[in-house]
Amino acid sequence: MIQGRITPQNTEFVILCFEGPDQYSMAGGLGVRVANLSATLAKIGFQTHLFFIGDPALDSVELRQNGKLVLHRMCQWISKYHPNGVYEAEEAKLYDYNESIPRIVKDDVVKPAVANGKLVVVLSEEWHTAEALCRLSDYLYADGLRDKVIMYWNANNLFSFHRINWGRLGYVSTLTTISRYMKHLMWRMGMNPLVIPNGIPRELLRKVDEGLSRDLRTALGADLVLCKVARWDPDKRWNVAIETVARLKERGIRTILLARGGMEPYGQEVLNNARSLGLVISEAFTDDNSVEGYIEALRKASYADVIDIRFHVPIDFLRIVYNACDAVLANSGHEPFGIVGLEAMAAGGIAFTGCTGEDYAIPFVNSFVLETPDPMEAVGYLMYLRDYPEEGIRIREAARRTARYFTWEAAVINLIHKLENQARIKGVLGGVPTPLEPQFAMSKLPPELVSTVMKRNYNK
Amino acid sequence: MVRDIVMYCVAHQPRRLKLPAQPIPDTADPHDIERCLFDEAMNERYLHKVATYCYYPATEMFLDLVEGGMKMSIGFSFSILRQMESWDQNLFNLFQRLVAHPNVELVDVEPYHSFLPLCDLAAFTKRISKSREDLDKIFGKKPVVTDTTEMLMSSGIYQALNEAGFKGALLDGRPWVMDWREPTHLYHMGKEMMLLARHYDLSDDVGYRFSNRGWSGFPLLADTYAHWLRETWGDFAMLAWDYETFGEHHSRDTGIFEFMRHLPDELGRRDIRTLMPSEIIDEYSDRSYHLPLPAFPCTWAGNGGMEFFLGNAAQQAVFQLMLLAYNKALLTKNKQLIDIAIWLLQSDNLHLIQWFGRYGAEAEVSAYFTPQEWWQLGPNGIIWEIQQVYKNFIHALDAYI
Repeated sequence: MIQGRITPQNTEFVILCFEGPDQYSMAGGLGVRVANLSATLAKIGFQTHLFFIGDPALDSVELRQNGKLVLHRMCQWISKYHPNGVYEAEEAKLYDYNESIPRIVKDDVVKPAVANGKLVVVLSEEWHTAEALCRLSDYLYADGLRDKVIMYWNANNLFSFHRINWGRLGYVSTLTTISRYMKHLMWRMGMNPLVIPNGIPRELLRKVDEGLSRDLRTALGADLVLCKVARWDPDKRWNVAIETVARLKERGIRTILLARGGMEPYGQEVLNNARSLGLVISEAFTDDNSVEGYIEALRKASYADVIDIRFHVPIDFLRIVYNACDAVLANSGHEPFGIVGLEAMAAGGIAFTGCTGEDYAIPFVNSFVLETPDPMEAVGYLMYLRDYPEEGIRIREAARRTARYFTWEAAVINLIHKLENQARIKGVLGGVPTPLEPQFAMSKLPPELVSTVMKRNYNK
Repeated sequence: MVRDIVMYCVAHQPRRLKLPAQPIPDTADPHDIERCLFDEAMNERYLHKVATYCYYPATEMFLDLVEGGMKMSIGFSFSILRQMESWDQNLFNLFQRLVAHPNVELVDVEPYHSFLPLCDLAAFTKRISKSREDLDKIFGKKPVVTDTTEMLMSSGIYQALNEAGFKGALLDGRPWVMDWREPTHLYHMGKEMMLLARHYDLSDDVGYRFSNRGWSGFPLLADTYAHWLRETWGDFAMLAWDYETFGEHHSRDTGIFEFMRHLPDELGRRDIRTLMPSEIIDEYSDRSYHLPLPAFPCTWAGNGGMEFFLGNAAQQAVFQLMLLAYNKALLTKNKQLIDIAIWLLQSDNLHLIQWFGRYGAEAEVSAYFTPQEWWQLGPNGIIWEIQQVYKNFIHALDAYI
C-alpha cells in the first residue's frame, strides 16, 4: 500500500473523455476542461494519459510536455468517415470507445504502472465514459488490479443521465461534479457526488492591456457595451440579454451587445426577437486575425444595437472584450459551472452570472448575480454601476482576486485532497494526511487571504 | 448386415456476430464494415477454448487411430480454417497432418457454412467448386465428395453439386426423405453423383445421446455400439458427427475418447471395415438406387427439416434480413461486400436462436450454441441485436449503390 500522499512519484492519472485538446475534439467547455486538467496534471509532474476522440489525421498516440502527457486518440477509424467533429457518429464512437478503452487502459497503462509500484487514478468525464469505466473496473477486477486503481466519474452536466446505469457506476467509482448546484441536482436523483470545481488556466490571470481595452470602447462608441458568449440555447437566456438591450435603448442609453453564439439554429429565433423589439442587428466579419483587425470589424458593425460576431474569437481577444464591457452577461438559467463568468472575472470584467452553478460569484462583491429572467434586474444593476463607477472598479479588482482561487492548479490541489481522502477510506492509501508539498502549492496566496491572515495575527 | 462403415466429421466454428450491434460509420469501407459486424475477439476466445478441450486431443486421437488402420473423412468450413490460420497455427498444422494421412479423405463443405444454397444455387455451385480448388491448395487433397451446410440436401442442391462435378454428396437419412428406403445403401437422383445417407439414429447415439444419463443406452460402450452396427441391415452405415463431439459436446470425463479409441478394435472383431466415402462409392456404385429428393431441403439438424432454422418468427425475420442483405450486396457489385453478405448467411445465426419461444431438447441444443456472453442481453435483446447487425449492414450498403 502506498503511504503518505499522492505524488507524481507514486501515481499516474488516466482521463477518459470524448472531448479533448484537438480542434476536432473541442465541442465546448468539456474539451477545454480536459485539455487544461490534463496539461496541469502533467505540468505538476504526474504521468497523465488522456483518452479521447481525437483528430483522425493526427498520430494515434502523441507525447506532450516531455512525455508527461500522453494523448491517446481513440476511434480514429470511425472519425475518418466523420470529419465534422467529435460528436458526429456519436453512437458508433461510443460503441468503439466502450469496447476498446477497458483493454487498452488495463494493459497499456495500469499494468505497467502497477508493476512500477504506482497507483493509478482514473478520472472519467461525462455520460459517454460511464460504461467504459464500469467495464474497465470489471477488467481490472478480473486481473486482480482493481485495488490499485482509484476511479472518479465526473458529471459536467445532466446530459443523457437516463443512459447511465447508476447502480453500477456508483459501485465502481466515486461520483463527482463541478459545482454545488450540480451536486444538489444529482442529490435529488439519489446520488451524492463530491464537488471538484472547474478551473481556468493560470495564464488567464494576466492583466489585460488596458490600452487595447480602451481602443475597443472608443471604436464601439456606445454609452454601454455588453457582451454575451454562449451557445444559442434557451438555457443561456439569450432573450433576457436582448430584452435588456431593448430596455436600455428605450431609456435613450446607446447600448451595444456583442453577441458571440454558436452554429445552433436557435440563434435566428433570438435575433428575430431582437428585431421585433426594434433593435438593429449587424454582423461582424474579418479575415484579419489581429487585435486591430477584430476591433476594426466591430467598429464597422457598431451602428447596430446587437453585433452578431461571425468570426472566430481567440481567448486573448475575448479577454479584451470582457475587460472593455460594462457587463459580461453570463446569465444562464442552467449553468453547471459557468466558465465564461469566471474567465470574464479573471480578465477584470464585470460578470452578470446566473444563479446556478457559479459557486465563485458573490453578488455585489465580485460580480452581479441575476436571480430572475426579468431584464429589469440587469438594467437596475447597470444603472447602479453607471451611477457609482467606483463600485465597478472595486468589483473588477475583487473579481480578478477571486479568479485566482479557481485556476487549474487550485482545482488539481482540491482534486488531490479529495482523492487522498477517498483513497484512505478505501484502503488504497496508507498513512495520515499531511500538508501539501511545495511543488503542489500555489506560488503565493491570493492577496486578500494574506491580508486576512495578517489581520488575524494583528488582532492577537 | 452392414459390412462397412464410413466415419465423417465436420469441424466448424461460426464467425460470430458482434452483439450488441456496433453502429457502422457512414461510407465505411468494407474492412471497417466487417469489424463492426463480427466479434473476432470472441471468435478467438472460443477457438482457443474448443481447441483445448476438443481439437487438440481429438485430432491426436484420430491421428493414432488412422495410423492404426482406421479410415475416416473430414470436412472443414473456411470459417474454422481462417480462425486457425489466424490464431492457432499449430492446430492448423496438426489438422494438415491428419488430412495428409492416406486413411483420411477430405470432404468439401459450403465454405462459409452459409445458407447460400437456399438463396442462390448458381452462386453456390461456383463457390463450392472454388472451395474444392482452395482445399487442394491448403491440404494438397482435392475433395471428390461433398457435404453442404448442416448437411442440406434437396433436388436443387443435388443438381447444383452434380454440375459442380462431385462424385458424391452427403445427406441425412431421415425417414421423411428416405421413405421406405434404408439409409444403408448408396443412392443417386438420376445423375452421376452418388448420395451417401447418414444413419441418423446410430450417428446420434454418439453425437447426441452419448453422455445422456437418462438414455436407455447409457453408458454406451464401444463393443455395444459395434454390435449395433453389425446388426444393422444394409451395405454400409455412414456415421457423421460434429468434430466437436469429441471433447466439446461430450467432455473428456464422459469417456468419449476412450470409446472412440476402442471402437476400431471392436469393429475389427466383427469384420466391419472402415472405408472412406469415395471408396464406398467405388465399392457400391454398381448397385446404387434411385432416391427422389424433396424440393424442401433436408438437414441433419433438429428433426431433419428446415423448421429447425426457420421455425420461429425471430428466425424467419433474420432469414428475411439475410436475403435482403445478400441481394442488396449483389446490387453493389462490390466483391468484398458480397463476400460479407455471404458471411452473414451463416446458418449459425439462425441455429443460435432456435430456442426463441420454444423449450425442450432442441431448444436446449440451440441455447448451448448461443454464446454465453450474449445472454446478458436477455432473449429479446439477443434477437433484437442480431437483427440490428443485419439492418446496420443493409444500411451501410447504401453508400455503394
